[in-house]
Amino acid sequence: MRCAGEIETRQIDENTINIDPIQVGGRLTADAMKAVIAYGDGYSVCDNCRKPFRLDYIKKPPIADFHADLASWLDMDVCRLVPGARRGFQAVCQGLVGKGDPVILTALSHYTEFLAVESAGGLPREIPKTAENRITADAAAETIERVIRTDGKTPALLFIEGVDYQYGNHHEVREIAECAHKYDIPVLYNGAYTVGILPVSGRDLGVDFVIGSGHKSMAAPAPSGLLATTDEYADTIFATTAARGDQTGRTFGIKEISMMGCTLMGVTVMGMMASFPHVRERALQWNQELENSRIVVDALRSIEDTAVLSEMPRQHTLTRVDTRASFDAVAQTHKKRGFFLSSALSKKGITGLIPGATKIWKFNTYGMTRAQAAHTAAAFTEIARENGLTVND
Amino acid sequence: MSQRATDALFQSLFLLTDIRAILRKTAPLHLLSAEEKKEAEKILSGVKRQVEILEEELVR
Repeated sequence: MRCAGEIETRQIDENTINIDPIQVGGRLTADAMKAVIAYGDGYSVCDNCRKPFRLDYIKKPPIADFHADLASWLDMDVCRLVPGARRGFQAVCQGLVGKGDPVILTALSHYTEFLAVESAGGLPREIPKTAENRITADAAAETIERVIRTDGKTPALLFIEGVDYQYGNHHEVREIAECAHKYDIPVLYNGAYTVGILPVSGRDLGVDFVIGSGHKSMAAPAPSGLLATTDEYADTIFATTAARGDQTGRTFGIKEISMMGCTLMGVTVMGMMASFPHVRERALQWNQELENSRIVVDALRSIEDTAVLSEMPRQHTLTRVDTRASFDAVAQTHKKRGFFLSSALSKKGITGLIPGATKIWKFNTYGMTRAQAAHTAAAFTEIARENGLTVND
Repeated sequence: MSQRATDALFQSLFLLTDIRAILRKTAPLHLLSAEEKKEAEKILSGVKRQVEILEEELVR
């Protein structure tokens, strides 16, 4: 079925259980879909934009209130919407990182954190991970000392992921922030896999910036995200324009330079806003999500020679598994080779696994109902049995 | 301008979106519980009513 011209109607989530690690937290709520229907036109939120002509001042629809609600929800002072977490990273780097400044990232940082540092002329320096794939305060302290020693400068900024994209592991954010602040290094919390799906308090974590992803974890259309900070940094990060045209003398009011003026001007902000009451509520139901995650993880672990590479017991719905000695062993002789697993899952109504993946792969159970978690768990063990693998009940 | 027709259009789309949410929640088998069936029935009846309004306003 096509929705327009050659464009297929996407029906993945209507017809299957989606386990794609990056997609599940960004699926729209019904209210967001309704907002998308009503606000699909380009500048749809600008009908009632009045002086000073900035997105975060619009009262109808209540976008100004939404900004305030987001800041309060995250226990931060100020919040702006950005087109994706990456643009939040970039805005912070633009404000704090100068050419040649070292910036601390981690061995589990997303590539967009590196690009943000690079875009500001900074030098990325990584905190190594432990054998358990965690980032610790001890390693952060050692890295800061090493960087000061070798670069001859105190790092301009430190990034830390609340939960990383590779393993879905939690890290010592509070302790790392404490450590960084001893050196007066501001701390950016990457909440792409936390903000919108589990409770996050920037104040409790002691961080200076909280970045969230709308399309990854806040049931919002892409590209969307947020950048929240404290009063201490707001004026620096959200500095307003002082530009003046040399021929026309034009000035540009209070447009914020790092935001390039207004950011999310239509379907993105409205989808994010419509989902927000549900997002705020669902973050409080995190334990139910963990239970669903554990149902599927337990099923996978029951398949002989299958290993979970993420920390155990699971504290997140994104999990990395190693099936080289189980499903990949099947793939060696299966007529579909490595594609047998995604194909078998698809037949059982499960999608989101990269076709061909049988060695080390990730999945995410976020947003499943209990029945869908049970279905997914059963699908994995059935496929294992159907292919001669031992399943330990 | 028929405000009634425009309202009916959006209302029907919103109701169908609620059906979409049910499809997502019950994928892949779409075996609805008694409660979900009742909810779907109520929504579909609302859709029919909105389509009737559209017919009244635009076609008849």
